[in-house]
Amino acid sequence: MTKKDLGLLVLIIVVGAIVALINPRFLLPINLANTANLVGMFGLSALGQAFVIVTGGIELSVGSVIALTGVLFVDLVANQDVAWPIAVLLMLVLGAVIGLAHGLLITKLKMQPFVVTLCGLLIYRGFARFYTGDSTAGFGFGQSFPTLEFLAAGRSFGVPNSFIALIIIGAIMWVVMHRSIFGRHLYAVGKNEEAARYSGIKTDAVIIAAYVICQVLTVVASIYFAMYTRSIAPSAHGNFYELYAIAAAVLGGFSLRGGEGSIVGALLGVVLLQELQNLVNLLGIPSSLNFAVMGSVILIGVLADQQFSSYRQRAAAAKGRAPAAAEQPAAG
Amino acid sequence: MKRYLVAGLSAVTVLAGASAVSAADKPQLAFVVNIAADFWKAAEAGTKKAQAELPNYELLFKYPDQSTVAIQNQIMDDLVTGGVKAIMVSPIDPNAVDALNKIASETALFTMDSDASKSKRIAYVGSSNEALGEQAGQIAKEAMPNGGKCMGFVGHLDAANFTERRDGFNKGVAGTNIVLVDTRSDGGDQTAAKKNVEDVLVANPDITCMVGFYSYSTPAIYQALSNAGKLKQITVIAFDDDPITLGGVKEGSVAGTVVQQPYQWAYQGFKLMAKYVEGDKSGIPADGVIIIPGKILHAADIDGYVADLKAMQGK
Amino acid sequence: MTSALAAAQAPVEPFLTLTDVRKTYPGVVALQGFSMNVRPGEVLGLVGENGAGKSTLMKILGGVVEPDAGTITVDGVEHRALSVASSMSAGIAFVHQELNLFDNLDVAANIFIGREPRTGGFLRLVDTQKQREMTAPLLARLGAGFKPSTPLADLSLAQRQMVEIAKALSMNARLVILDEPTSSLPLSETAKLLDVIAALKADGIAVILISHRLHEIEEAADRVIVLRDGTRVGTLEKGEIDHDRMVKLMIGRDLKAQTAAPAQARGPVAFRATGVRTSTYPDKAVDLDLHKGEILGVAGLVGSGRTELARAMFGVDPVLGGTFEVEGAPYAPRQASQAVARGVFLVPEDRKAAGLLLDLQISQNISLPDLPRHSHNFIVVKRKEHATAEAQRRNLDIRAPAVTTLAGTLSGGNQQKVVLGKWLAMKPRIMIFDEPTRGIDVGTKSEIYRLMRRLADDGVAVMMISSDMEEVIGVSDRIAVMHEGSISGILGRDQFSEENIMRLAIGKTLTQGEAE
Repeated sequence: MTKKDLGLLVLIIVVGAIVALINPRFLLPINLANTANLVGMFGLSALGQAFVIVTGGIELSVGSVIALTGVLFVDLVANQDVAWPIAVLLMLVLGAVIGLAHGLLITKLKMQPFVVTLCGLLIYRGFARFYTGDSTAGFGFGQSFPTLEFLAAGRSFGVPNSFIALIIIGAIMWVVMHRSIFGRHLYAVGKNEEAARYSGIKTDAVIIAAYVICQVLTVVASIYFAMYTRSIAPSAHGNFYELYAIAAAVLGGFSLRGGEGSIVGALLGVVLLQELQNLVNLLGIPSSLNFAVMGSVILIGVLADQQFSSYRQRAAAAKGRAPAAAEQPAAG
Repeated sequence: MKRYLVAGLSAVTVLAGASAVSAADKPQLAFVVNIAADFWKAAEAGTKKAQAELPNYELLFKYPDQSTVAIQNQIMDDLVTGGVKAIMVSPIDPNAVDALNKIASETALFTMDSDASKSKRIAYVGSSNEALGEQAGQIAKEAMPNGGKCMGFVGHLDAANFTERRDGFNKGVAGTNIVLVDTRSDGGDQTAAKKNVEDVLVANPDITCMVGFYSYSTPAIYQALSNAGKLKQITVIAFDDDPITLGGVKEGSVAGTVVQQPYQWAYQGFKLMAKYVEGDKSGIPADGVIIIPGKILHAADIDGYVADLKAMQGK
Repeated sequence: MTSALAAAQAPVEPFLTLTDVRKTYPGVVALQGFSMNVRPGEVLGLVGENGAGKSTLMKILGGVVEPDAGTITVDGVEHRALSVASSMSAGIAFVHQELNLFDNLDVAANIFIGREPRTGGFLRLVDTQKQREMTAPLLARLGAGFKPSTPLADLSLAQRQMVEIAKALSMNARLVILDEPTSSLPLSETAKLLDVIAALKADGIAVILISHRLHEIEEAADRVIVLRDGTRVGTLEKGEIDHDRMVKLMIGRDLKAQTAAPAQARGPVAFRATGVRTSTYPDKAVDLDLHKGEILGVAGLVGSGRTELARAMFGVDPVLGGTFEVEGAPYAPRQASQAVARGVFLVPEDRKAAGLLLDLQISQNISLPDLPRHSHNFIVVKRKEHATAEAQRRNLDIRAPAVTTLAGTLSGGNQQKVVLGKWLAMKPRIMIFDEPTRGIDVGTKSEIYRLMRRLADDGVAVMMISSDMEEVIGVSDRIAVMHEGSISGILGRDQFSEENIMRLAIGKTLTQGEAE
């Protein structure tokens, strides 16, 4: 855990303590479980976003992909009688194909990630709405899939299974990003793609893989969202979810320039955002202020982090660092 | 022969100085809704029925890509440019009178769903949200003779259809021990809608009733109550006819729902427009408001309603 | 001559005098009681190895760093320390190695950026006409051959430096400090810059010239101050300035056999290019053999296609035609990873952008191309990384507190050693160096030369692209000279001379003797 992560954790605990003081019902197991469930779902999509952001890219189509795969999944399972494991598999493949397409456009055709994924945002939303003819895709009344519902919306020992999934997948992704060869390559590409290429890294392959991972994780999140709402209005479902994911990653220390950030931080970012949503309802703050609260906390969080680290740097500089550093810039 | 007639008509409009000429064979009438949602499926069915009875017209049904005033205005501008004879719109912002008046100066403008009475629209066809709200209050009164504390759920707190429904509801329950304590909004996000219900269950244990003001609000309430094992412990009052809502009503876990009749809006609206375009203004009342009342559905009404709906949608 | 006048008995007051300036950072004395002066119209050479204190000195003059003790007298006014503003208003101007210019603007706009003459009343439009009129005399003073309206993008590197200098003149500079102005200039352009320095001098402007290219200092400076470990270890007057003396003072010892390369028997052909065409000169083909155990110097003007050839060999630039062979087997790398897999390594020209990742640790940089060998079940093992990095640190004498130090905090020479270490850890077969000693101090330079020789002796085929004549001649076993995308001649040791290289570089043939 980095100092940054620790700071975020302290913030989460402090905010939680204040909320609990004002309204002790915050700590009710049912409330914690409800919030953990949302953390699980948004966390999965934030994990995906983190992989793209660390390469210096961005994936804006997340919300639309959640809508598209959501309506497809629900339709396949509820109306087309496709066995749910097959539907899940199909959606994961679709996610991988979308990620692959984005990655190829970005690396091979040298398009900017922002442009590619912004177009994706529009395209997949359009497909989702066209597929359902602008109507809601939902499970019929009383339609039931016990295993799927248990895995997606159930609880084990009071802990939502979506949260357990996040912990397991998050742990795997932590190893992938922070310990594996691929993770090192990701950071290298994010820091300096040119230098990474000159070190013999297949930078294009690394970037493509990041987008594929992002979309596959997005699809996993999408299935959890679908099973949570059980009905999906393709024009509204998942709107802005890419921004929640980006916000969580940024809050967790990821730099949009790439090459920086920690998985733990991004997940703590998700926890903080969901805690804020919960707080708005529990403290009876008008729900209109929801976004304003979220935006302010992200802004203050990132600002505080920057100020703190530049303060630390100045303090270190005042104490004096390595002589090489003092002599470095002009190459004199 | 008919073709020549239309051609002649177009020529006349050109002579009359109309800015553009419709390329279509038949005069067009348009029905412009406010958002792409299931709700309007019945209106599409009503349009189909009207089309069958109005073979001399081309009836258009338009969804905006996004529920914004700008996009809706653009759709109407395009229709006007295309030479449409009359438009019936569900205005996203009924207070944007100037924009509506601009359209009204270029073609025959009607409103439906929510009225813009200050504009120069010719007539309004639809329900009165306030009346619907009152009907919902009726359901509440019957279901909770001893009173109750209600929490509302909605997409946008600033939407006119919500504020009118809320006012109507309050009117409906006036003089009883039923109070609408507060309303939570979700901005149209169903995940947030469900979480709002979960949070209310935690934060406000004294709540005994929940009102789903939008069509997706009640399904979110139903799911959350179902997960929490609180179905039937809390009285649910619904609007509209989402399948989950109807199922809940039938099952008895939703006290009742108030449904509007968009099928009738479209059907009667198109017939009204056609008559008006042909010069017959007898269908327009003095105050320009044609109310098509909502229906209250209880458990026993569901099967019949669903059958009608299916028939209308031709399923 | 002005300089002769200035030097003789010096009736002219110094423009700038430093007296007993001290600056210490914890643990390091950057400057200890340093004194110097510079007179109007004098070109003062300032040389020293990296870490000798030059940067600190520049920062003090620029007003960025406050000295602990001592005084700075500018134009007769004594200061404890300068601020950025007071340094500028006193007329001290810097021209850095990395230029602060805008490619998308013309020359005049670059010179007056942020200080544009205005017109159009309250609209405050830029008066382009006036701006160009004001620029013309500045360019004339420097003898520049381009116009105020020329787009910057059309100018060569040396011409861009002139723009920077013109900018300094426009701000009434009295002292121009040139920091490594020639390190990225091709041979032909260096002369132009020296002319500009002469023009400044003739105008009575003081010049401080910092350079690692000692023969330029020899040519241009009126006086040379040598810095070592934060002190002035010597001052050479006009007549005493010579290369060996400067080097000796800089490193505190004789630099023996820095460039002595044993003429030795070459091995078999390790790498062969046949009819290779690259993107800059799609119509010209390169044929070249590189032998095991030799150092092949590649000379030529900047833009002659040398770097493109190296990049194509390494798989980062496309090859438009022709073939490569490595040890007799076909070799067609489409990306650098394929080159690395075959043992063909490149130490690129732009160390900071392409050579290494400044934000990664030394050990992470070294293990980067070869992570599978430093991992277990796809998980990177730090212990293995550190072991490799430690071995290279010892091997190359990388001066850093630890292998976990960030590469960006190292000096240029040590950064270059990290780049080298990365490849040496992987058993190179063909090593390509592109300008390997640019911006690197003399001591480290000779270490790198020795290392190249060691590699060649171990049977590696070494190719070295360099614009530094001394270096090419001193280090190479053979020299290939490129001109506009093809090899214009290959020189054996007995034909090595600056003149021969220059003739081939500008596309002429050799007069006496034949190219190999």
